[in-house]
Amino acid sequence: MPPTMTSPLSVSTAATPRATTTHLSIDGVSKRFGSFTALDNIALEIQEGEFVCFLGPSGCGKTTLLRTIAGLTRQSAGRLTQRGKDISMLPPQARDFGIVFQSYALFPNLTVFNNVAYGLRNRRVERARINDRVAELLALVNLTGSEAKYPAALSGGQQQRVALARALATEPGLLLLDEPLSALDARVRGHLRSQIKALQARLGVTTIMVTHDQEEALTMADRIVVMNHGVIEQVGTPAAIYHQPASAFVASFIGSMNFLEVTAQANRQALLGNTPCACLPHTIAVGQAAQLAIRPEAVALSLQARALKHQAGALNGEVVSIEFLGAFQRVTLRLPEDHQTLIADVPSRDSSKLSLYVGQLLAIHLPAEAARLYAAGSSQQ
Amino acid sequence: MMAESLIKAATKPSLESLIRLLVLLAGVALLVVGLLFPLVTMLLKSLQDRAGDFIGLANFAHYFQTPALVNSIANSLRVALMTTGVVVGLAFLCAYGITRTCMPGKRLFRMLAILPILAPSLLPAISLVYLFGNQGFLREVLAGQSIYGPIGIVMGMSFWIFPHALMLLTTALTNSDARLYEAAEALGTPKWRTFLTITLPGVRYGLISCLFVVFTLAITDFGVPKIIGGQFSVLATDVYRQVVGQQNFQMGAVVSVILLLPAVLSFIVDRWIQRRQVAQLSARAVPWQPTLSPLRDWVFALLCYAVAGAIVLVIGTAVYASLVQFWPYNLSITFEHYTFQGMADGGWGAWFNSLKLAFSVALVGTLVIFFNAWLIEKSEGFRPLRQGLHFMAMLPMAVPGMVLGLAYIFFFNQAGNPLNWLYGTMMLLVLNTLVHFYTVCHLTSVTALKQLDPEFEAVGASLKVPFWTTFYRVTLPVSLPAVLDISVYLFVNAMTTVSAVVFLYNSDTRLASVAVLHLDEAGYFASAAAMAVLIFLTSLVVKLLHAALTHVLLNNAQRWRQAT
Ligand SMILES: Nc1ncnc2c1ncn2[C@@H]1O[C@H](COP(=O)(O)OP(=O)(O)OP(=O)(O)O)[C@@H](O)[C@H]1O
Ligand SMILES: [Mg+2]
Repeated sequence: MPPTMTSPLSVSTAATPRATTTHLSIDGVSKRFGSFTALDNIALEIQEGEFVCFLGPSGCGKTTLLRTIAGLTRQSAGRLTQRGKDISMLPPQARDFGIVFQSYALFPNLTVFNNVAYGLRNRRVERARINDRVAELLALVNLTGSEAKYPAALSGGQQQRVALARALATEPGLLLLDEPLSALDARVRGHLRSQIKALQARLGVTTIMVTHDQEEALTMADRIVVMNHGVIEQVGTPAAIYHQPASAFVASFIGSMNFLEVTAQANRQALLGNTPCACLPHTIAVGQAAQLAIRPEAVALSLQARALKHQAGALNGEVVSIEFLGAFQRVTLRLPEDHQTLIADVPSRDSSKLSLYVGQLLAIHLPAEAARLYAAGSSQQ
Repeated sequence: MMAESLIKAATKPSLESLIRLLVLLAGVALLVVGLLFPLVTMLLKSLQDRAGDFIGLANFAHYFQTPALVNSIANSLRVALMTTGVVVGLAFLCAYGITRTCMPGKRLFRMLAILPILAPSLLPAISLVYLFGNQGFLREVLAGQSIYGPIGIVMGMSFWIFPHALMLLTTALTNSDARLYEAAEALGTPKWRTFLTITLPGVRYGLISCLFVVFTLAITDFGVPKIIGGQFSVLATDVYRQVVGQQNFQMGAVVSVILLLPAVLSFIVDRWIQRRQVAQLSARAVPWQPTLSPLRDWVFALLCYAVAGAIVLVIGTAVYASLVQFWPYNLSITFEHYTFQGMADGGWGAWFNSLKLAFSVALVGTLVIFFNAWLIEKSEGFRPLRQGLHFMAMLPMAVPGMVLGLAYIFFFNQAGNPLNWLYGTMMLLVLNTLVHFYTVCHLTSVTALKQLDPEFEAVGASLKVPFWTTFYRVTLPVSLPAVLDISVYLFVNAMTTVSAVVFLYNSDTRLASVAVLHLDEAGYFASAAAMAVLIFLTSLVVKLLHAALTHVLLNNAQRWRQAT
């Protein structure tokens, strides 16, 4: 039973979280615009109290999926179930959600108070109750005292928080956020990110946020849904998405990643030119062209002589350029064999030991536990 | 609780979409009954004989074999083309003066130039008779030519069409890109070449659109040729003469169909141009600012003020003529003509009827048109219905007033029509006027609505607020300036129009503009002038109130409107 608006804004729903009851299940949802398929057979379960991010490049269908959940766009096929109730055919008015749009869509002619109270006024709630509730919500988003202001008089970050308060006013079971931070400058964004996350954790409201900013998704989400071309590429925790990308697309989309052209070999092996490299288990047929993906920070560099002796799978490479990026230095190397380039991030602490300079020949170690093999050509978006 | 919310969920949304559907259907019904049915009935009438039997194109054959009638086509084309030349030429120069020079007194000129819109088209015709007629004090200027005929028609039409052309061309000339001019200057291009290669191409769509609008207004106008045309007949007066004079409805329908053609053509061209014009000005264009050039500025100032002087002269003449005892023999001032002794039931009743009509149309029309535009623009679902309504909302622009009025007679005065009781009532006049001026209001509404955040409705829906609440709490207040523009446009047009309503009144619902016509026909020229002036003053007062109200509202809204 959804909480009524008269119940106090409490941690009640959050107090019993992760009982892993399903809040929303999306079942084979597709959406076509004419002959264009914006969503292709999407299946997803979202747990009660969870914070889920839809992440993907522009045009991949994130907004379309969010609007489908809201009922603002009608799916071409598939079923949506919210708390056990089939909502596939319900109009937005009959679904239980609050939404914050990228533009915020604050009503410009209404004060902050009236914007937040907009959904409450309709419920024939006593005036005093509404006042209390609005005060409570504005306190929640740190905007106490702005009741009488108009949206135009607020900064972008403040407008965003008013929109959030307005969406939360009716205590929806599901909060939908479409790129809520993308219109703000970087500093405000970082601050609001943690604020929203804390707020969500406190209220325990199931939340879906759309973003194309991977950092946002990685820092805020309990689980990330990576989308591309209208399909889900991977669903998982931020750590899983980062460390165990399920596809070359996910690997390339999140964080930076080296892709080396290799030939697959049996037994957790690949051939880079003529050098054998160890990697995680893979399913690519022996002799097939493949891509070996490894993160720059996983690449280990060392002075040549020592490394060549001790480590199997060691390569060497010539330093082409060095970028100073504060905490680490980004070294671009050219591998002698077929002139592939490789990027390595060297922590500033270690770089002094290497005394890096352009033209230097270094030994490269690609740790097997960080090297993944993907079929060739699959990282193209 | 659960069951209750389930029931709520099941009934409430369907109620909302049911209401949406019903309102959309009502909108469609309004235009079907108020526009399509009458037009179709009229087209059918043109193919029938007096007895109502189908006779194919025989009426048209008869029309083209009657020289007196066919002549009117040439006459209409002649005066319309001449008017178009005069109006567009003058309006272009004046618009150029306003937008591209630093001439002094632009604001005053614009205010004066807009005045003719507030008067019925009968007013300039009456004034011209006083100025250039047999007893006019400027008749020598015409060098023996009679004002009754093409000269008078062209002058009178030019007067009241001028503001329309000026507004269109001012808009077109305002959209300029300074970067193009700077580039031309840097290349040492002479001024006249800059004008030919940059200015003219830049306004070509606006200019073409203006040419067609002016031509259509001129060829379909009824008021001016009726008063000052004399023996010189044009299509619009033929419709009137056939129907009111000779009771020959079939021939009236035939002339109407012919009158419909240029209007439809112009409508199609205009739509085509609107579609092309969209992408013309890039978002990065820098508006061009004129620099001082005393000679040029004063030449344009003189020209503009000559035009403004002519406008003031025409209006002033009507006012003066309505006040003098007996032109030109007894020039003492009197208010006697404002008692309208030429009219059996007194003219103030007609004026009051006009006021009633104008207020009703302004109120009902604004609500209906804006709400329909909102449903078309801002709702999901019922797509074919919404598109159909939009299409029908565009049609009235292509239908001249005379044609619409006659079509109403045919449709609503049919014996078998269940809506027959409407004929001659104020309600029918309201419907007719609303439909007549629907398109411009619809387009204004759509433009205003397109500027709003597309997610307002979605937010309302997510907060479980019914769509009509979001409409009146947010959409309407935010669009208030446009809504006020629409209502004053409807008011002024309802006050001044004569062409459609001339067929539709009865003795209880006679309007002021029709009264001008009757007073003139009956030879009470001074009273006709007085009535025309009365209409003008009423529109002027409403327009001024509107300006004041808009000012106050915008000032109040400044609290929430972005300063940028
Ligand atoms: N109403 C529509 N009609 C036709 N195509 C549409 C419509 N809405 C979305 N699309 C298309 O569907 C695809 C997915 O759109 P969507 O807005 O969901 O992308 P997105 O992932 O939110 O991208 P962004 O990050 O740019 O917001 C796009 O290619 C878009 O062009
Ligand atoms: Mg999007």
